[in-house]
Amino acid sequence: MTASLAWRILTHQKGRTALALVGIFMAILLVFIQLGLFYAVPQGGMLLYDNLRFDLLLVSDQYEYQAQPGVFALSRLDRVRASPEVATATPLYFGVAKWKHGVGGVWPDLFVIGFEPRSGIFRPHSINRQIAALQRPDTVLVDSTTRSMFGPLTPGRVVEIGDSAVTIGGRYRLGTGFMGLGVALASTANFTRLFPGRGLGQANLGLIRLKPGVNPILAATQLRALAGPGTEIFTRTELGRREASYWTTRTSVGLIFGSGLLIAVVVGIMVLYQIVSTQIGRQLPQFATLKAIGYGDGALAVTVSTMSLLIVVAGFAPALAVGVWVYRLIREATLLPVTMTAAHVAAVLGAALVMATVSALLALGGLRRADPADVF
Amino acid sequence: MSLASSLFGQAGLRPRPVPLAWRSLMSNRRRLLRSSAGIGFAVLLMLMQLGFEQGFFDSSLQVIRGLDGDMFLQSAHKYQFATQDPIPVAELATARSVPGIASARPLYADWYDLFWTNPYDGKRFLVRALAFIPDQPVFTFPQINAERQRLNAPGSVLVDRRSRRFLGMNGAASQSELNGAKVAIVGSFALGPDFGSDGTVLMGDRTFAQLMRGVAGTPPGMEAGVLKLAAGANPASVQTALAKALPPTTTVLTKAQLIAFEHAYQADVSSAGPIFAIGTIVGFVVGMLISYQITYADVADQLPQYATLKAIGYPTRYLLRVVLGQAGLNALAGWVPAWLLSIVLYHVVGEVALLPLRMTLEITAVSFGLTLGMCLISAVIAVRRVVAADPAEVF
Repeated sequence: MTASLAWRILTHQKGRTALALVGIFMAILLVFIQLGLFYAVPQGGMLLYDNLRFDLLLVSDQYEYQAQPGVFALSRLDRVRASPEVATATPLYFGVAKWKHGVGGVWPDLFVIGFEPRSGIFRPHSINRQIAALQRPDTVLVDSTTRSMFGPLTPGRVVEIGDSAVTIGGRYRLGTGFMGLGVALASTANFTRLFPGRGLGQANLGLIRLKPGVNPILAATQLRALAGPGTEIFTRTELGRREASYWTTRTSVGLIFGSGLLIAVVVGIMVLYQIVSTQIGRQLPQFATLKAIGYGDGALAVTVSTMSLLIVVAGFAPALAVGVWVYRLIREATLLPVTMTAAHVAAVLGAALVMATVSALLALGGLRRADPADVF
Repeated sequence: MSLASSLFGQAGLRPRPVPLAWRSLMSNRRRLLRSSAGIGFAVLLMLMQLGFEQGFFDSSLQVIRGLDGDMFLQSAHKYQFATQDPIPVAELATARSVPGIASARPLYADWYDLFWTNPYDGKRFLVRALAFIPDQPVFTFPQINAERQRLNAPGSVLVDRRSRRFLGMNGAASQSELNGAKVAIVGSFALGPDFGSDGTVLMGDRTFAQLMRGVAGTPPGMEAGVLKLAAGANPASVQTALAKALPPTTTVLTKAQLIAFEHAYQADVSSAGPIFAIGTIVGFVVGMLISYQITYADVADQLPQYATLKAIGYPTRYLLRVVLGQAGLNALAGWVPAWLLSIVLYHVVGEVALLPLRMTLEITAVSFGLTLGMCLISAVIAVRRVVAADPAEVF
């Protein structure tokens, strides 16, 4: 009877309940937004890895995060390649050079990734169908999300990068993440021409693909011994965890959006508490009557909790729908990869249920005052 | 009509004005607490978002704001201050020859090449390095200026004790390494990281040249020329004369222009503006809903009383003022504790996140304006019931 009572109270005054729904909808939406931003930054940091084909990653033990990986001697990767479990081991080279054709005469910094075009390590089709362009001398592919300050990215345009004249061979879609304002792909041959002092003996990332059926966790342990000191080998899971912890603990990102998230939950509790306690206040004589005819505090508590739960559940669905839409807006406005995942939905639903419980507990204080003798 | 009389009742209608909005607010302390908590947390959310946005920009502008100069030279190719694009030190001599220039000093800097070794665990991290001639200070920071003479000793550095903790700059270590070369830590200052660098090392020009020779092979150029004007010099004409004397690859900026240049870059490239604006807007809307709920419930409860006032001849205008006055008081009751709490939170979060979060007049004014706005707008929407209240129907 208590659940249906809660339902009746809520449907009794539809306008009032609609208002409550809007309130809780906004509060849940707020939690979605803060959570989305909280995870967007580490996801932005994973952008390159998500678009590369590999099972294990070999890096220097100075590795900080993707854009600051340190270097290791290529011979380390050669040793790993010799292992019977390894199918391919491909080095990736990073360099930063001035793009000397920015809008208004500025020279923005270009993040250049050097790799062997035939290695097929990139996932995006927009890269793989332009291998021929990459193989032409002094030609690069430019990420299509490169900032507008770089000027037009028209294929065929010749630009000065560092001290070399380079032709834009085409554009590809991957995203610049935290690599910089602009990113370009170059073949290893072109990379050495762009960075003459650099050479190919020192690589930044070693992408290891294992033969079919090889367990990456076991292989990682064996290959670590093979690669030797000064290097580290991560599985994809370890890498994801490491990048996320870099962004959330080493930078202010975790604290900024974490505190936003916390306040969002508190605001949600306040909204819900406000709604439920107003309802209780209005129904106080009725609640007192229920008490007088023998219903215990427990039954009333269940009614109030059910009310609070019903409101949260009803507010959650539209908040999720609008959340997906707001995520897209944020994605477009900030270029951060804010995406709605099952984990987000579950986490926000969890937070919403916490909000419902806490606000119901707070509101029950008011209900306990419902003394039949006082009300009439 | 003065603010006080609109808040506390209209003078003239009665011999002693009844502060109706105030009394109505205080009549139910429990509800007052609830409403001020509800509005207060929405306001706190806005205050945190506003604070973060300002902290973001403040952190990225700290070094520039701390430069002790009236006018600055930097490469015309720079798209932001913190990028390697040196200009020849010889341009300072050209600048000094321009009438109206009192002094011209070099600031050397590097953001990409110097790796600091944490003296406690031996791990290496990229740091921002700033350098100047110890006898020609370029910063206004008192701690740096008090210790700058020690930078004359080769291989000596000052470290930022507000750097990110994993750099190990906030301890008592007296020695560390930069790119593997031993450096003596001769003092410290408090600056803090920004979103591009985790920590800062300050050194003399000779130490810097030694370290950078290893990287670049040639003595480095300067990242900025820090100029001071002679007393009475006209900034605009000096700027024009400097631009004429210097090659077109060098830009001459006033301090305000340099700050505006960097601010424009950060606003354009970072997502800080939209991200924190979204948070503030959502806080505002949530606050409006809470405040609507409060006013609506209150109006509903007091409807008989309002109808009675109407019946005995008070005009609707008067009742409107009472409701709006009460909404204004609710706004105040939510804003004041939120404002106080945010000062505490700014301090705590600022220390942990190493962000320069501080309460400013601007944040105070903006947050109060938003709070008042959300309470009054929602009250106007909620008050329609009072306007419609018919004494004959209520009873």
